[in-house]
Amino acid sequence: MTLTYRDPFEQLQNELDRMLGAALGSVGSAGLYPPVNVFDAADAFVVKAELPGVTPEQVQIEVENETLTLRGARAFSEPSGEAAYHRRERGVGQFRRVVRLPGRLDPEGANAEYRNGVLTVRIAKARETRPRRIEIQAS
Amino acid sequence: MSPSDIEARPKQKVERREESTRPGTYFLPAVDIFETSDELVLVADMPGVPPDAVDIHLEGNELGIEGRVRIEDYEGLKPLHVEYGVGGYQRRFTLGEAIDRQNIKAQMKKGVLMLQLPKAEHARPRRITVQAT
Repeated sequence: MTLTYRDPFEQLQNELDRMLGAALGSVGSAGLYPPVNVFDAADAFVVKAELPGVTPEQVQIEVENETLTLRGARAFSEPSGEAAYHRRERGVGQFRRVVRLPGRLDPEGANAEYRNGVLTVRIAKARETRPRRIEIQAS
Repeated sequence: MSPSDIEARPKQKVERREESTRPGTYFLPAVDIFETSDELVLVADMPGVPPDAVDIHLEGNELGIEGRVRIEDYEGLKPLHVEYGVGGYQRRFTLGEAIDRQNIKAQMKKGVLMLQLPKAEHARPRRITVQAT
């Protein structure tokens, strides 16, 4: 008998790596900021953007036809006095990102949440493009 | 209209993880490090990491930071288009200054870790004022 122990965290991570890896056809965002991941959640599209350190109230989110536009700025973590920089890798400044989604959207059914530096926008698909289940009627 | 001032850099995977206790994919966080006369400040982008999932360790002059994300946030989602990988963050630094370990301050807000490392008394520049007699 063999016993295999699988860490549930590891399993989930492996699954995510596989899923993301498979969808990672065109690698990266070609430098576009912020980078986004787009997911299908049956009746909605879910767009996640990594925006650490941003003030959520200052991010503008627009939904129109098939596009989502994110606009805002990332401020510089200014030292209060005189300081010498050893490293400066974090990008700062204004950003504007237009994401085209693979289907029509229902702008009324959109909501956004910002948590731990990740912006998640959930936009309902336009009614006519949502998957529908058709029951077979018994005769 | 112009796009962004910021250029997204692809996340760099941590290939070799020594002494790793947890499996999974880890990335190198982007950091700013600056130094004032009395402290070293490290600011690291770790989007997706909640405040309670950060580890900071200082051993000798080796500083290590680590953060883990909530993979559960992705359950039930089918990826259509992927531009960034999801996983934890890990990075090590060698400090050139002696640090006052008792007074290190760490704050995790909006996916950004801010670490203030005060210099040990003997490492601070001292100004000696000449007193007029």
